[in-house]
Amino acid sequence: MATQSEYVIETEGLKKSFGEQVAVDGVDLRVPRGSAFGYLGPNGAGKTTLIRVLLGLTRPSAGTMRVLGRPMPKERSQALTHVGAIVEEPGFHKHLSGRENLWVAAAAREPTAHMRIDKVLEQVGLADRADDRVSTYSQGMRQRLGIARCLLSDPELLILDEPTNGLDPGGIQEFRGLVRAWIAEGRTLVLSSHLLDEVEKICDHVAIVDRGKIVAQGTLSELSTGDDGAITIGCDEPHKALAAVDGAGSLREVEETAGGLRVLVKPDASLEKVAAELNTRLVAAGIAVHRLEPSHVSLEHRFLEITRRLGENS
Amino acid sequence: MTTSESAVQIPKPPHLLFRMERAELLKLRKSLGVWVPTAILTVGVIVIMYTAVELFHVSNSTKYGPAGGTVNFERALFLMGQIAGMIAAALVGAAAGTHDLSSNVFRDLVSTGRSRTRLYLARIPGGLAMLLPFMAVAYALAAVLSVVLAGGLATPSVTLFVKAGLYVLFSASVVYVIALGLGSLVGSRAATISILIAYLLPVQAILRNITVLGRARDGLLSVAVERISPLPPPDPHDAVSMPLTTSLIVLVIWVAVFGGLGLWRTQKRDA
Repeated sequence: MATQSEYVIETEGLKKSFGEQVAVDGVDLRVPRGSAFGYLGPNGAGKTTLIRVLLGLTRPSAGTMRVLGRPMPKERSQALTHVGAIVEEPGFHKHLSGRENLWVAAAAREPTAHMRIDKVLEQVGLADRADDRVSTYSQGMRQRLGIARCLLSDPELLILDEPTNGLDPGGIQEFRGLVRAWIAEGRTLVLSSHLLDEVEKICDHVAIVDRGKIVAQGTLSELSTGDDGAITIGCDEPHKALAAVDGAGSLREVEETAGGLRVLVKPDASLEKVAAELNTRLVAAGIAVHRLEPSHVSLEHRFLEITRRLGENS
Repeated sequence: MTTSESAVQIPKPPHLLFRMERAELLKLRKSLGVWVPTAILTVGVIVIMYTAVELFHVSNSTKYGPAGGTVNFERALFLMGQIAGMIAAALVGAAAGTHDLSSNVFRDLVSTGRSRTRLYLARIPGGLAMLLPFMAVAYALAAVLSVVLAGGLATPSVTLFVKAGLYVLFSASVVYVIALGLGSLVGSRAATISILIAYLLPVQAILRNITVLGRARDGLLSVAVERISPLPPPDPHDAVSMPLTTSLIVLVIWVAVFGGLGLWRTQKRDA
């Protein structure tokens, strides 16, 4: 039985491997009902694989999951009836028209889906081209037709994988408007993307994924301005300063920069207290400190941190 | 612009019955690459055969007999039941088994939560609804022409017409389901068609002539199909004979094996 859970998606230790390759690695995900949830990560981080597992397109190797309060894959049919999804580039029968493709898609959904075909074509601005073959559509038009197909089932939950691919700036703007309207209606959106800007503009909750693992999860404001902070230190002899701060408590990462150090502080530590401790250590080591600037780590910094590390390891 | 859509339960209108089967038919019916070869291999083949024989007859009536009659009807039946009709069934079955995969639509269909078994089973009536009308038209044409162009030749009996009609539709349906299953298993339309045409034409003919295989040849599709035909074997000395019940069992096994493999692959395939 479905329960009106606080979360529309709940996963626990979800794992998916392809041979030796682990694409989804013990993911614990909670998507709050009514949120616009960004699933952010670089290409190859395992975003699409997680979506495919959630939709029953491929089987998980381990772990449990619930969609709209129903256990998956046990109650897959009932759960997915109220889910609309685009996974990667939406596929269509190119020899059929847009309307015929929606007819084919509606046939696999509940009977009321057929009644929504004209309406969803209007919503995505394809009513005028609905009877043209899909082979004559641009990539952006196909993307919009994919969104129209998602809406056929009047979904409670929309899962969109890189939905703005192929859309021109006007189309992206229009898409954002659509998303805001969906959220206002109480639907939940899961948006998978490698584009930080897109996630920041659309979503209120975010999970950052890296090599199949969720490295951070929370509201956009929590992740952007939370206690997890950084301290920028301007000083002489950065190399010597690096040795001086070594061993200081509550540090997550220390990095030497051109004019000093950049220190990432653990989330549970007080940024001000750590700054004071570092200053004491540097002065005691005889290093002239000309700048000591605590700051909060923005979502962009988090994301760049991950992608930079990936670049170094590759 | 609003996106609201009420969750009111709208009663299912009668025209939405068999929606999934009709969707399968729509995909095939609108594909030039499917219906044009199907039309040529069914109706086209009969038109060409009767036209050619009649032209020969008109040009030299002492040497060539009329195009109609039982003799030519049997030839038409052989073409429909064991050569061109089988290839048409293979083309339609291969398309039905692979078009959702090749167009990437399978992923969307699966993500609706609809049972994969249901998705697969809808392709059987959907594809037959495309194939069998062509077979029926071709057969009706052959039946009419066998009477109209009979001249002085004997015409088929009503019993033969009925048996032959059922035979043509049944053999096409059998090959269709085999092609559908193989297509769903392999996932490639080109590979499916190549395998089936290779088997239906040269491979099968070679195997049935290898006498050392003995009764194992009863398992060949052509042998079983030939046995249910209302016609005598074209070459009685070459024929591998078996009881009708055995031939029906052989056909059921062919359908069950390939239909089952296609269903299994559809259920297990990553979308």
